[in-house]
Amino acid sequence: MSLLKVENLDVFYGDFHAVRGVSLEVNEAQTVAIIGANGAGKSTLLQAITGLNTQKRGAVTFEGKDISRMRADLIARAGVTMVPEGRRLFGSLSVEDNLRVGESTKRKGPWTLQAVYDLFPRLGELRKMQSSTLSGGQQQMVAIGRALMTNPRLLLCDEISLGLAPKIIGDIYRCFDAIRQSGVSIVVIEQNVAQACHASQHIYCLLEGRISLEGDPRKLAMNDITAAYFGTEQHS
Amino acid sequence: MIWLETIANGILLGGLYALIGLGLGFAFGVMRVVNVAQGDFIVAAAFIGLYLYPWTPVHPILVILPVALIAFGIGILLQRLLINRVLGHDQIPQILLTFGLAIVLRNGMVAWFGANSQSINVGNMRFWGFNFLGMRLGVLPVVVLVIAIVLFAALRFWLNRSRMGRIIRATADDHQVVQLLGVNYRNVYAVAMGLALALSAVAGVLLAMRGSFTPYSGADRLLIAFEVVVIGGLGSFWGMFIGGIVLGVTQLLALKIDPSAGLMYGHIVFFIILILSPQGLSSLFSMKVFRK
Repeated sequence: MSLLKVENLDVFYGDFHAVRGVSLEVNEAQTVAIIGANGAGKSTLLQAITGLNTQKRGAVTFEGKDISRMRADLIARAGVTMVPEGRRLFGSLSVEDNLRVGESTKRKGPWTLQAVYDLFPRLGELRKMQSSTLSGGQQQMVAIGRALMTNPRLLLCDEISLGLAPKIIGDIYRCFDAIRQSGVSIVVIEQNVAQACHASQHIYCLLEGRISLEGDPRKLAMNDITAAYFGTEQHS
Repeated sequence: MIWLETIANGILLGGLYALIGLGLGFAFGVMRVVNVAQGDFIVAAAFIGLYLYPWTPVHPILVILPVALIAFGIGILLQRLLINRVLGHDQIPQILLTFGLAIVLRNGMVAWFGANSQSINVGNMRFWGFNFLGMRLGVLPVVVLVIAIVLFAALRFWLNRSRMGRIIRATADDHQVVQLLGVNYRNVYAVAMGLALALSAVAGVLLAMRGSFTPYSGADRLLIAFEVVVIGGLGSFWGMFIGGIVLGVTQLLALKIDPSAGLMYGHIVFFIILILSPQGLSSLFSMKVFRK
């Protein structure tokens, strides 16, 4: 059974029709990547799923329930959360306080403060630090840990590798296996196509608000992906 | 010695001014809402205190407890029923809404209570005094200052240590992201407005005990609150406290030199600080509200 099903979704960003008739599916314990150029509508799509963007029509079904009209905080309580683009930590709060805001969904599950510190041992050492003083990679770990603290069934990650050193990106993607094994499905937005293909079992390519290509990244040809990414030629 | 005593009295008055600013500054720090009706809510709280204090057991000053509780409830209703509806990127609707509310409230109070000057009678306490380092100080002003300090410290402690305090600080930082973590920011805003009005209500009642008030006093109170918040630096916690004390000391010193000056010199000092340090005094102390 699919965990998340998006059908024929249109989303507006102000007056701009950013997402046009997108349908996609995420299965249990699966990692799905959404790739596409800047302005293709990737972030707007995730914002619509989480309920932060309310200018939308179409169906969003999570665990068989329609969440397309639900308030954002109730969607989070139902088990969908997001690591937002640019991390957006609570800058004046300590690392531990940032993580504990994630307890607000009151969902039970494997993710506790200790579990997050086991996943990112560095955060345990930095727990009393003010989050705005951390390096980019450390902040990204806090952002992921904060989302995990909600004990989600579905974790959406918006551009988590943006502006980070390659070694740190590797570290962060490596912990995805542990997250998936705890029963969490993951959707990542990536600009780095190779990274996205490597990390996921299914990719969707967005071009000007529409899905231009989808499939198993191991079965797709790199040429087709490039074409769908940039819209340089027609494809089926 | 007389000057030292004036400064000491200025500090005592300043603590109360700081408390007047705290409600406004707290609401702004959390929600970016400028509540123009704050001054009139302060006066309304004084009227509520005026009607409740004869029934208050032990000592009339304890009337601040029921008044704060009532103000907390009114703040929650105000935020839920009115201000939450106009939240958005544009701040003009909030200002227009609270401005309208201020006018309704003020004229409602004139119609209901009349325009006479009123005061809350705390009995003999008003005349008690004691000698301190050769100065003669009043008991009531000292009690008022202590209440102000306790409220500042308690709010600070609660924000830093409690679960709700943590959620309020997080919501102040980013009200969108908290929703991804299951927080309904509108509820958080309602609690914050309740607290802001409760703090202001305490200030209003204490002010009514130290001096007198009329339904028209709101504008003066709002001006003081604004000056305290701006001198302190928008959203700075102890900066606000110092801002209040600067205003209180200036006002009493000026009255000593020029008895007909009223609040004018306080406004002048405010103006000078604004020109010299547009970020407020907090840029000198760099202690932000929700920063540890």
